[in-house]
Amino acid sequence: MELYVPILVLAVLAAGFAIFSLTIAPFTGPKRWNRAKLDAYECGIEPTPQPVGGGRFPLKYMITAMLFIVFDIEIIFLYPWAVAFDALGVFGLIEMLLFIVTVLVAYAYVWRRKGLDWD
Amino acid sequence: MNGIQPPTIEYGQLSPLLLVFGAAIVGVLIEALAPRYLRKSLQMPVTLLGLVGAFALVLTVVMQGVPTKAAAEGAIAVDGPALFIWGVILVLAVISVLLINDDNEFVASAAAVPGTPEEEDAIAAGGAHTEIYPLALFAIGGMMLFASANDLLIMFVALEVMSLPLYLLCGLARRRRLLSQEASVKYFLLGAFSSAFFLYGMALVYGFAGTVSLAGISDALGAVGGQNTLLLIGAGMLGVGLLFKIGAAPFQAWKPDVYQGAPTPITALMASGTLVAAFGAVLRVFWVALGNLDWDWRPVMWGVAILTMVAGAVLAITQTDIKRMLAYSSIAHAGFLLTGVIATGAEAQNALSLKGILFYLVAYGITTVGAFAVVTMVRDAGGEAGHLSRWAGLGKRSPALAGVFAFFLLAFAGIPLTSGFFGKYAVFAAAVAGGAVPLVIVGVVSSAVAAFFYVRVIVLMFFSEPAPDGPTIAVPSVGTAGVVAIAAAATVVLGIYPEPVLRLAEDAASTLFIR
Amino acid sequence: MNAIRVLAAPEPALPNVQSFGHDPLWITIIKAVAIFVFLLLSVMYGVWMERKLISRMQHRYGPNRAGKFGLLQSIADALKMGFKEDLYPSKVDRFLYAIAPVILVVPAFMAFSVIPFGPTVSMFGEQTPLQLTDLPIAVLFVLAMASIGVYGIVLAGWSSRSPYAVLGGLRSSAQVVSYEIAMGLSFVGVFLFAGTLSTSEIVAKQASGGTWEVLGLSIPMPSWYVVMLIPSFLIYAITMLGETNRVPFDLPEGEGELVGGYQTEYSSSLKFALIQMGEYVNVFVVSAVSITLFFGGWRAPWPISLWEGANVGYWPLLWFFIKLVLVFGGFIWVRASMPRIRYDQLMAFGWKVLIPLNLAWIMLVATVRAFRIEGADRTALFTIAALVVVGCLVLFFRFDTVLQRRRETRAEELKQEFELLEEQPAAGGHPVPPLDLPHYHGADRKEISSGIH
Repeated sequence: MELYVPILVLAVLAAGFAIFSLTIAPFTGPKRWNRAKLDAYECGIEPTPQPVGGGRFPLKYMITAMLFIVFDIEIIFLYPWAVAFDALGVFGLIEMLLFIVTVLVAYAYVWRRKGLDWD
Repeated sequence: MNGIQPPTIEYGQLSPLLLVFGAAIVGVLIEALAPRYLRKSLQMPVTLLGLVGAFALVLTVVMQGVPTKAAAEGAIAVDGPALFIWGVILVLAVISVLLINDDNEFVASAAAVPGTPEEEDAIAAGGAHTEIYPLALFAIGGMMLFASANDLLIMFVALEVMSLPLYLLCGLARRRRLLSQEASVKYFLLGAFSSAFFLYGMALVYGFAGTVSLAGISDALGAVGGQNTLLLIGAGMLGVGLLFKIGAAPFQAWKPDVYQGAPTPITALMASGTLVAAFGAVLRVFWVALGNLDWDWRPVMWGVAILTMVAGAVLAITQTDIKRMLAYSSIAHAGFLLTGVIATGAEAQNALSLKGILFYLVAYGITTVGAFAVVTMVRDAGGEAGHLSRWAGLGKRSPALAGVFAFFLLAFAGIPLTSGFFGKYAVFAAAVAGGAVPLVIVGVVSSAVAAFFYVRVIVLMFFSEPAPDGPTIAVPSVGTAGVVAIAAAATVVLGIYPEPVLRLAEDAASTLFIR
Repeated sequence: MNAIRVLAAPEPALPNVQSFGHDPLWITIIKAVAIFVFLLLSVMYGVWMERKLISRMQHRYGPNRAGKFGLLQSIADALKMGFKEDLYPSKVDRFLYAIAPVILVVPAFMAFSVIPFGPTVSMFGEQTPLQLTDLPIAVLFVLAMASIGVYGIVLAGWSSRSPYAVLGGLRSSAQVVSYEIAMGLSFVGVFLFAGTLSTSEIVAKQASGGTWEVLGLSIPMPSWYVVMLIPSFLIYAITMLGETNRVPFDLPEGEGELVGGYQTEYSSSLKFALIQMGEYVNVFVVSAVSITLFFGGWRAPWPISLWEGANVGYWPLLWFFIKLVLVFGGFIWVRASMPRIRYDQLMAFGWKVLIPLNLAWIMLVATVRAFRIEGADRTALFTIAALVVVGCLVLFFRFDTVLQRRRETRAEELKQEFELLEEQPAAGGHPVPPLDLPHYHGADRKEISSGIH
């Protein structure tokens, strides 16, 4: 646990600095109300009405996020394997090869179904 | 040379599982690499070969002698009951896949919103999701693993591997797509909820026992003794997760909706395979891991079993949709099977109960697939004729089909000379021997109630005037006809000469679960 | 194989994970404040250096008014931002809008806590390594912090309730997570060699590459992983740019399409300053990680390392700083010379090139390393290696021919379309102006017919 205390110290410093900047900003700057200034910026045209709560966003991003999870988990399996590689030896190599090939099968499927294409 | 020893994996014993999963992965590869027009003609043989091959491998393992030690470092128990259940699941899977092969049941493009031009385009272009084959294989592999898992972690992984493809498959019906998608989402949400229960229960039991292996939990129970809140809550949550999967009351709510909305071949696979696998898992958790705790779980299980039988039988009467009615009947059957789970005692008693349950699962599973196969053949303009009123007078228009369906219904009711009779007899006899007489009385009464609505459908089919615009009977494809024929034949044979299968079940049950 | 003999570490007092966690609190605070101040100054002078360097590369002077050589420019900028109006646009989700820059900035700082700056030194009488702390999973911690930073980007975009910001935030996060996979994979080669995830130990492992005994000569092997793992490093270098949204991957801020991307609504004031700071600190984090993992960390480069005192005491701080400046200079150089690439190309490059290439390279490295394990089954290894190579080649040629065929079909289609258009300009429904359209010569003149018809 002692290993994590310094990280906490640095985090407190950084967060303190950031929150301090946020809190003093309203007091250091001027305040001049202007309706157009407070609108969303859309290069000068009237802003498009935005749905409450952010609205929907393209499904594409969700798929990217899901694929990211798949590969992130693969990485999480690769790290301990790489660290303990010399101890695991050939057995570990074969198992990891099988694992990667299995993931690649799904990867090939996604690729062919244009899951990796953007338009 | 170093500290990490490679684990020993008994590839021979696990070969049926590996083959099913391997075939599924090959299926995904086919999806990825083969051109569209070839996919179906490649998927079908791969799937069937994988399943039949796995069945042959199960036989080989049995020939070589049933292992007496858990495989893969104690993670998977390939014992008598497991091998028997594997065999049953594979047989049911083969029959279900023959049904799945029917193009008409699945959506052309799942991503197209129902009723949009995209959907019409996809139908016109003859689109089809051949992914259903690998998905079904993953689900089947998960079922097999679920029934043979010897530690809770593997059991959870198997639960997910089994459920996730099924959630998807439920949403792929070609007609009444909104209903199908609703079923899929419902199943997914409730299923995820129950998985969470299972996982949390597992965590609590781990907190108590310090291990997730079933044998280890059993040992910990023996060592501690007495009450432990952590353990009791954990066991209860594990129970919720598992009872959800078998559809026992009060966790049965998903079953009618999902069975109705899902494509009928998938309903057949779920109703037979999932039930078999889930009972395998229930038996393992409650007998192997929590066997020493039976004084605590038995009263609860009594209540659940009675509630399930009564709810299934009574609610089925009010149903007007054939698939919903079959769903409630499946709930009632889960209740009958639970009486067998409760009837534990000495080793001989356990073997007797186990034998009854295994036989019941075979008989019920095959009849169910047959009944759903018949449902796919009775069609209206908008797809299957689900509403019971549409079935009126079917016996006059198509006596053979109505006759077979009536026979399946009689088997569900447990009339002598059908497989259902011996199944119920075996389970109830074991329950009586185990001292659960009141439970058996409730079982018999609810069987009688259930018989009422089965007979009502028969009366409707044979003694009502057919509607002038009644449903058409689709000319069955070879596969569907084969499924109906196999199921009918099995129901007859198991009803007249159940000896061989009973003996097989007895042999499988005699060794009980290995620890 | 025995010719390669790993030498014992020349200096006994190299820090490892066990060296940490013993500091008194005041030492910890000194080190944390030092890192914090160092990063603040780095951001200030990083901005200055970037502006100066890129100006020189573009034949202009860059900032040269505030202070000598414009050295005070960043301070002037910071003051200006502080005295600007603190805007909360009317539609934003006020809490998330305010907190997003903080979420962006804090993890970036935290990631620096596991970067090693030097060996164990004596600080005010206490023996302590020049590194805030080290974890058995230090590199994983850096990746985790990078992932949390993505929340800042998404929330900044999403809470702004403006189409540009939402799109920019989504794009940016999709890009960052995509490149994070390739980045995570490019580390695996290093872990295969180092056998640890702790940053201080990875640096220690790069102390010496051993010697190669051949023909009675002992040739020293290169010790930095960048030499042995050059493909890993190249991939990492690319993902560095993608991960930090820098040119040529600065799509979120592609002014042409998305105005300011996720920071569109953070028009001025200190919130904007925080976002900028977070981005620069992220750049320094990935640079520092590249130095630690591939360039021998704080260890002196070759000619200097011959001097005995090079890797002792406070000197390594200097080597680390020089390396950091050089890597950051690389970022600027890339910015000056590369055009921005298109978003679909960016994603396709990340997913379809970097990831498979990375996996193939990892398996190659692993197979080669497996040969060096004594008592390994050589035949099995050769079979595996052959299978891997053949499999990769088959896949490559399969995809290569498929791609080639597709390209040819596409070219053929384009050609046909072009020919068709040459014959009938209005084919395909393209709005082609009529050939006799009058020319427009401004409001004060009369329209003059083109005179063709």
